[in-house]
Amino acid sequence: MENEKVLEVKGLSKQYKKGVYASEKVTFDVHRGEIFALIGPNGAGKTTTIRMISTLLQATEGDAVVSGHSILTEPEKVRKSITYLPDEAGAYKNMKGIDYLKFMAELYADNKSQAEEYVKTGREICELGDRLNDKIASYSRGMQRKLLLARAIMSKPDLAILDEPTSGLDIINALEIRRMIKQLAAEGMSFLLSSHNMLEIEYVSDRVGIIAKGHLLETGTPAELIEKYKADNLEDVFELVVMKKDIK
Amino acid sequence: MKFRTLFLKELREMLSSQTILMMIVSVVILSFAGQAMSNAVEDNAETMMDINICDLDDTEFTHNMIKCLTANINALDGEVNTVDITSDNYAEELKKANVKSVVIIPEGFTESVEKSEAATVKFVQRLNSLATLSNMNAGSQVAVDYLSSAVKEVVYSTKVANGKLTSSEVSFLNEPLKLEESTVVADKSEDISASIVMSLCSAQGMIVPIMMFVLVMMSSNMILNAVSTEKIDKTLETLLSAPISRLSVIAAKMLSAAVVAAMQAAVYMIGAKNMMNGVLDNVSGESGYSEALNNLGLTMDASQYVLVGLQMFLSILIALSVSLILGVLARDAKSAQTLTLPIMMCTMIPYMLSMFVDIKTMSPAVRYIVYAIPFTHSFMASENAMFGNTGVYVGGLIYQVIFLAVCMFLALRIFMSDRIFTMSIGGRRAKTGGEASQ
Repeated sequence: MENEKVLEVKGLSKQYKKGVYASEKVTFDVHRGEIFALIGPNGAGKTTTIRMISTLLQATEGDAVVSGHSILTEPEKVRKSITYLPDEAGAYKNMKGIDYLKFMAELYADNKSQAEEYVKTGREICELGDRLNDKIASYSRGMQRKLLLARAIMSKPDLAILDEPTSGLDIINALEIRRMIKQLAAEGMSFLLSSHNMLEIEYVSDRVGIIAKGHLLETGTPAELIEKYKADNLEDVFELVVMKKDIK
Repeated sequence: MKFRTLFLKELREMLSSQTILMMIVSVVILSFAGQAMSNAVEDNAETMMDINICDLDDTEFTHNMIKCLTANINALDGEVNTVDITSDNYAEELKKANVKSVVIIPEGFTESVEKSEAATVKFVQRLNSLATLSNMNAGSQVAVDYLSSAVKEVVYSTKVANGKLTSSEVSFLNEPLKLEESTVVADKSEDISASIVMSLCSAQGMIVPIMMFVLVMMSSNMILNAVSTEKIDKTLETLLSAPISRLSVIAAKMLSAAVVAAMQAAVYMIGAKNMMNGVLDNVSGESGYSEALNNLGLTMDASQYVLVGLQMFLSILIALSVSLILGVLARDAKSAQTLTLPIMMCTMIPYMLSMFVDIKTMSPAVRYIVYAIPFTHSFMASENAMFGNTGVYVGGLIYQVIFLAVCMFLALRIFMSDRIFTMSIGGRRAKTGGEASQ
């Protein structure tokens, strides 16, 4: 079961104009229950890769298969198997928190009872209590992020794609979220994360992919990479890979 | 020093490139509208002092009177043209004579003058539009004034030659003419003054363009904000990654905005109808103006309100689809605000022109430019419906449908592609998350 591939990215490329790639021939897999992190400097191509997998952008080459569905030929089925939380994502400010969860639950659920179940789960995950009855406009950044995370996780997708999942959260909330991600992964949910926080990645990820200038340069567990580069931590590995490698 | 620093900072923020662009665009719009209006006024001014006259009495007195009138009008750079009116079917007679107005001197005119009784003169005018500057001509009163002075000149010259004026002749000369007026609209005519018709219809003529302007701006702002806010707040990515088709997302946005716009159009049309009824109820009373306007076809019936409402609704849909495209271009709240400019420009030009000039009679080059703006046809809708300009109405309707189809196609293409994330105002690519590598 653990070896079952939830996501297979095969030579995925995004070319905006001839010879100019935002992401080039990116290949990696994510297994069931695995937490895979894409790390790289700003503008490395992480978000483009994530957006292609989320079916928001069309790949110019290659393919990605999510739970057996190709992003090229079955984008709607792919969207049924994933949830995507963009970096700095917002929510509808004029909605109440609870209404936002209901709205999103209805988009993902097949029927009313399933939607109610998603909302119940979302309520528990976000831990916003009575504040869910307030308008989102009155939420702090951290509260809004927790609501969005709850939205991304409540439907228990095969693959949750989280771009900077803990950005804007305080240390306690960030720790809670990391624990929650690990727990859900243990229950079989797969995660594709993107983060600049190397400590977070080292703590939470099963495997890491280092991306720079549109190329996936390294993949492996944090321990494997630290060993390979004879580094003290993942941050040093990141520096060695990104700064020292000559990328054509 | 500190105040100056603060003042300069505030000024810099308020006097943004968008504000300057808005000012420039406003000047361009007003200049274009002013130029178009000036051309229309110039065309009218050339013939404004011309008087068309039909002498059905055909006596030596009327010949002399017309000679006097001609001398007076010529002195004002105008012309007096003689036309033949052979029946009471004024709509047909004006069309045949190819004139917009005519002063008819009826049979028995000279006889009345000789009896020192006020002689009747008939003034018939065709209205082609309710636009303020479209019906500029000498008008009934000016024609009567000049005819009166011509009558006086002739009477004086004959009576003075023959001796003293009697007291009844003196009182006759104070008011020698009695004016009867008829107004022609399309193929109908009624015994009512054209200036009264214009006054009564001015409320209706103004309310529809104002409603159109407000509705188009409101609905375009509605959808532009809906799309740009989703993009700016990054809720669009979340929405489009959900298991629903993009077509559903765009259709839901369009449909909800169209429903609100249709409700607004219906409410405004009911309001306009009630307002017109109120205006006519108050002014008509015993005078029979309301009936005359009805007979001239200048009060819209239910089917005409539907036709006007249909073109209004089409304009709103066009504004929605264009705004959908423009909303995608927004990068922030300020750029979203600027993006309403093209819609505002395309609404203001026909709005202002339709209030002042008859667009149908403008020079071909300007007319076709104005016709190319899809909203123009909705601004002209009520006039087209009332004046029976079926060809212009249907042509406008077909053009609007085609324009809407093209805009919808483009909006769908953008929404279904990466452009929704990569397009932004000024042609620059929005942040895609990945820096290009060679």
